[in-house]
Amino acid sequence: MITVKDLHKTFHTPDGDLQVLKGVSDHIEKGEKVVIVGPSGSGKSTFLRCMNLLETPTSGEVWFEDKLVNDKKSDIDKIRMQMGMVFQHFNLFPHKTIMQNITLAPTKLKLMSKEEASEKALQLLKRVGLVEKADAYPAQLSGGQKQRIAIVRALAMNPKVMLFDEPTSALDPEMVGEVLQVMSELAESGMTMAVVTHEMGFAREIADRVLFMHDGLILEQAPPSEFFGNPQNPRLQDFLAKVL
Amino acid sequence: MSIITFTNWIATAPSWIQGLPEWLQTLCYQFWQTFIYQDRWHFFVDGLKITFIVTLGALALGIIIGIIIAVIRVSYDNSIEKKIPLVIRILNSFCKLYLTIIRGTPMMVQLLIMGFVIMVPKTDGGMIVCGIVTLGINSGAYVAEIARSGIMSVSRGQTEAGRSLGLNYFQTMRLIIIPQAVKNILPALGNEMITLLKDTSLVSVIALRDVTKQAQNIVSKTYQAYIPYISLAVIYLIIVIVLTKLLGIFERRLRKSDHR
Repeated sequence: MITVKDLHKTFHTPDGDLQVLKGVSDHIEKGEKVVIVGPSGSGKSTFLRCMNLLETPTSGEVWFEDKLVNDKKSDIDKIRMQMGMVFQHFNLFPHKTIMQNITLAPTKLKLMSKEEASEKALQLLKRVGLVEKADAYPAQLSGGQKQRIAIVRALAMNPKVMLFDEPTSALDPEMVGEVLQVMSELAESGMTMAVVTHEMGFAREIADRVLFMHDGLILEQAPPSEFFGNPQNPRLQDFLAKVL
Repeated sequence: MSIITFTNWIATAPSWIQGLPEWLQTLCYQFWQTFIYQDRWHFFVDGLKITFIVTLGALALGIIIGIIIAVIRVSYDNSIEKKIPLVIRILNSFCKLYLTIIRGTPMMVQLLIMGFVIMVPKTDGGMIVCGIVTLGINSGAYVAEIARSGIMSVSRGQTEAGRSLGLNYFQTMRLIIIPQAVKNILPALGNEMITLLKDTSLVSVIALRDVTKQAQNIVSKTYQAYIPYISLAVIYLIIVIVLTKLLGIFERRLRKSDHR
């Protein structure tokens, strides 16, 4: 479903060039759940953000189904409609109610009528247990509730794949569970997912494959049992020793 | 037309005025001359109409110009990291030139140039249009910088969220960034509105009969400056106070999404 070939990304900063991705390749199957872990600064968020072109790769290819994502000729907006994204800082629209947050994109992009979008939104809100917040504004919600709404907002577009960029890192510890719960249910429903996270328990539980990134490269990838039970790369062993 | 002198007037005035101290009698006489005699209050009403039309027209034009320029400037600043498209480059230089010229020359001079060099209007309607265009172009330069600060005050994550849902750049700007930016810049925008209203008093140099010009006309008829000009100041003051109140209400309404 998503294929990445020899991805490089260099940021040009006033202090000089910063090479964040140094040749990353991977293939994510339909229905697969891939969890990406690694120390901060390893390039895992950048890797994820290259998939829907929030960051433009310096070189390399990103394919989504049969379309080259980082091609000037491809309609990136069309591709993004099929790729949901959830951010660390939620990024809900503060001037819109929860309902408007969810229905804005589907209606403005003419994918659904207003009624269809509201119906879909209510159905999804029911799934995450937040129907009663439909008319509230984001400022009235807790962090965990905001992130669940952000997930619903992405799902309302009927995406084929969901990208999660550290979805629980900005949450108070007691709210992490409710968000992971929603993500687990989503995983069970068969959604294709790519998740950047520090939640090792979650990775072990839902991942089909765990990637370890370090210094701009994927150093190891394996099913969770192997990944956590029998890590090969010394860097990964070192990393796991610190976080587990 | 004969001028009715103070002595003549006071002889025919109601008795309660005749009982007042002399300086108050003079004031009443001047007030009568300014507003009542020959229905001169019409001058103020007619002038106010022009003032309002020019203010509203220039405000609308200024906001449109300002937002367009702000969006161009922000897209230029945001695309530093990647290659900047040639169109944006050209538009940005044009915007910078516009800002430099408009902010670097006095409003009065701009009006004179527009009125007597560029547009040279002959009809009343033409003069109004000329006033609106000049003030709108002037105001646009200031609104542009205000709007730019507003757009930059909305976090980058908002753009990313909009784009990640499949909205294009302009949809994201229109639906997500600009509504939030407007909320943030409303106090500064209100300031600009008040400045603009007061700046319309300059349009008399292109022979537009706004409320200031009309007050001058009355002075030239009565040879009394005191009441017409003080009244003029009071009129502007009242409009500004009302405007400030309205803006306050509007601001509070926009802030309703902030309540916890």
